[in-house]
Amino acid sequence: MAELELLDRGYSAIMSAVIDSGRAPHFTELAAELEIEIEAARELVHELVGMTPGWVHPGTDLLASFPPLNMQPTQYQVTIDGQGGWYAQCGLEATAIRWLVPGKTVTIEAPCLCCGEAMVLEMCDEEIVTVEPEPMVGYTSAEIGGSADSRPFR
Amino acid sequence: MNLFRSEEHARNWVGYDDSMSAALKPVAEWADIFSNPFFRQRGRSDYISWTRSEEGGAAFKELRSRLPRPVETDS
Repeated sequence: MAELELLDRGYSAIMSAVIDSGRAPHFTELAAELEIEIEAARELVHELVGMTPGWVHPGTDLLASFPPLNMQPTQYQVTIDGQGGWYAQCGLEATAIRWLVPGKTVTIEAPCLCCGEAMVLEMCDEEIVTVEPEPMVGYTSAEIGGSADSRPFR
Repeated sequence: MNLFRSEEHARNWVGYDDSMSAALKPVAEWADIFSNPFFRQRGRSDYISWTRSEEGGAAFKELRSRLPRPVETDS
């Protein structure tokens, strides 16, 4: 298992890249940034997703989800201060994106899974700026933080 | 883990499971749950260490206490 200091650096490097660009670094990029062996970076990716609610695409070393954001497009399209390019992991994690971009307005646009009609949720720091339409609700039929093996299939 | 236009829309969703009815909440309530330090602290450079600290452990315990669990229902 990687040292705690390396886990911290790895998590921070991935989160920074995801917030900056909407994409997670490949483990070879992570190896270069952290100045570690490529195999150590590959193992680090798996260790980190094992201790967070994220996942790699099944059977690969490729980060598919690093919450609150998703590398694979979802129905939760995210814009930050009017700039697009991100997707939320799910509708509930979407409400946590604001903590990674203090002072910026996070807008979530998504269709309702029941009727397909558009919804907009806008948040900035502590404030919920827009909820359209009211009364928007969140729901999950799966236990949050349930088995790690099932996460890529939810 | 999805958003819906209303409670009625969520209940009409093909994936709705009444045993998780406790997980049907106004979006503002979910936003409050996802304001726990476990989420707020993700931007720090020592996040994994923080999750293992006393403060991180307390935050996670508080978060778990607010997350809905499935209930037994008569079928």
